[in-house]
Amino acid sequence: MACLHDHSCEDHNCAADWSLFNHIDIPKVVALNESVAGSVKSVFKPWEQRLDTSGGFLESNEGDPELLIFIPFTSDVKIKSISVVGGADGTSPSRTRAFINREGIDFSDAQNMQPVQEWELGENLQGVLEYQTRYSRFQGVANLTLHFSENFGGDITKIYYIGLRGEATQNKRDVVATIVYEVMPNPSDHKTKSETGGGFSHVE
Amino acid sequence: MVLEATMICIDNSEWMRNGDYAPSRFQAQADAVNLICGAKTQSNPENTVGVMTMAGKGVRVLVTPTSDLGKILACMHGLEVGAEANLSAAIQVAQLALKHRQNKRQQQRIIAFIGSPVKYDKKVLETIGKKLKKNNVSLDIVDFGETDDEKPEKLEALVAAVNSSDSSHIVHVPPGENALSDVLISTPIFTGEEGGSGFAASAAAAAATGAAGFEFDVDPNVDPELALALRLSMEEERARQEAIAKKAAEESSGAENKDHASSSNTDSVMAEAEPASNATADDKKDQPKDDDDAHLLQQALAMSMEEGSSGAAAVADAAMAEAAVDDQDLALALQMSVQDASMSSQSDMSKVFEDRSFVTSILNSLPGVDPNDPSVKDLLASLHGQGEQEKKEDQDKPEDEKK
Repeated sequence: MACLHDHSCEDHNCAADWSLFNHIDIPKVVALNESVAGSVKSVFKPWEQRLDTSGGFLESNEGDPELLIFIPFTSDVKIKSISVVGGADGTSPSRTRAFINREGIDFSDAQNMQPVQEWELGENLQGVLEYQTRYSRFQGVANLTLHFSENFGGDITKIYYIGLRGEATQNKRDVVATIVYEVMPNPSDHKTKSETGGGFSHVE
Repeated sequence: MVLEATMICIDNSEWMRNGDYAPSRFQAQADAVNLICGAKTQSNPENTVGVMTMAGKGVRVLVTPTSDLGKILACMHGLEVGAEANLSAAIQVAQLALKHRQNKRQQQRIIAFIGSPVKYDKKVLETIGKKLKKNNVSLDIVDFGETDDEKPEKLEALVAAVNSSDSSHIVHVPPGENALSDVLISTPIFTGEEGGSGFAASAAAAAATGAAGFEFDVDPNVDPELALALRLSMEEERARQEAIAKKAAEESSGAENKDHASSSNTDSVMAEAEPASNATADDKKDQPKDDDDAHLLQQALAMSMEEGSSGAAAVADAAMAEAAVDDQDLALALQMSVQDASMSSQSDMSKVFEDRSFVTSILNSLPGVDPNDPSVKDLLASLHGQGEQEKKEDQDKPEDEKK
């Protein structure tokens, strides 16, 4: 396999660099405009298998090259670079726009919003191209949304592999689920032990 | 148990005034909407349903997706019918309403009731469908009301364009006897992808109470105790029919042997009226187990075709059979009145009272009567060979003495 680095690959395993794959919450990966529901999950695999299409690949619907992929992570990650392997005959994506930490983006949102970063992609059939991120903007990413807006002229867009390189922190970005706002404080909600009569005061 | 947010698009155009679906197309639609809302919220408590109109004052959202059934029922009240339905605008508005749902994890679904003619081209509809598919929105269509030549095909094309992995459906409901809601209950719109929910099954059972055979088929899955109670009352009613038919035959033939047969039947029938006596209930169960469904069906047909007093008594019996289960005294009184009406011989009643255990249990239920009381025992002994009225007088006496 051809590495872009100028060292020989016997020393270290290139696959370890692309280890963010392990931190992707694969069951919760969602894609919009895919022709086969659930096929997006086959796009995330170890680096060595990036050209292996036996598990299926991601294809957009007929006549519509746009794809939107929502990638949640199991913990917050920092993303250094992205690699995308597309299909032949103009079915490779040519432009990618990335959004972070936004759930429920659909196509109209994606087209109107300002992305965190966008890249012009080349036809990367062998998986040798990678695209650097503006690292400062990709710290503490809980989920990543990739919008593939154009391709090289094909009727559909095919993606065989998406690789993410970076580091995983062990933090988990917590979502505040339900917030109850008090208009007027209700004293009964705020009783201390001494008021209810019973607790010993704690003296250290 | 799919987590879903649903927007229901109601057609309240002028075409809904028509009465080919009872009581009017609009009313049938409203009933169907209520049922669907109930089914969705029951299959998953976090599901939300919203309602919007396609015609009337215009395309507007009446209720944004909510899990509060009361709001949905309230908004259906007082809707006016008029103007024309605007399908494409309605679907766009529904999409927008779903996009701004509170819980982004919910799948998006639109259910559209289309009763007016569709004026769009197939192409336009297919583009609408593709846009829905792109945004992962499923679409269910209920095609009812107006039928012109191309409407079914156009709507089929729309659903085919939206459909991905069988999540979108279309149902054509022709006008007829069955209510719109009844037809919809058995469709995938109601039952969802998993092929059935508890609500749908029980609603189907409740809707088909007219057909006795259907009840027996569905009930054991949902509620075995209910199935048992229904079967017992059915058997009781059937046995009562046989008893009455036999008595009618007896009187015409005048054979004494049949008296015993009929009285034993009435014994077992009346004994079944006691909910406490499980043993007799078991006997009752054993009897009908011999019959198969074909025989049941014949009985039902015979019952429905019977005319005259026995038929009337059969209807009365059917009503009383269910009412009598609870109250032994009531059962006794009803049995007595039934037998009077069908001109049965009073000897049957006295034969019944020969069944001492039964009489004892009846007397136990009467307040103020102690079966061990010697006067009551004398009374029981004096029952044999005496008429019905005499027995009543004697019973009154010990009660008066008690007082």
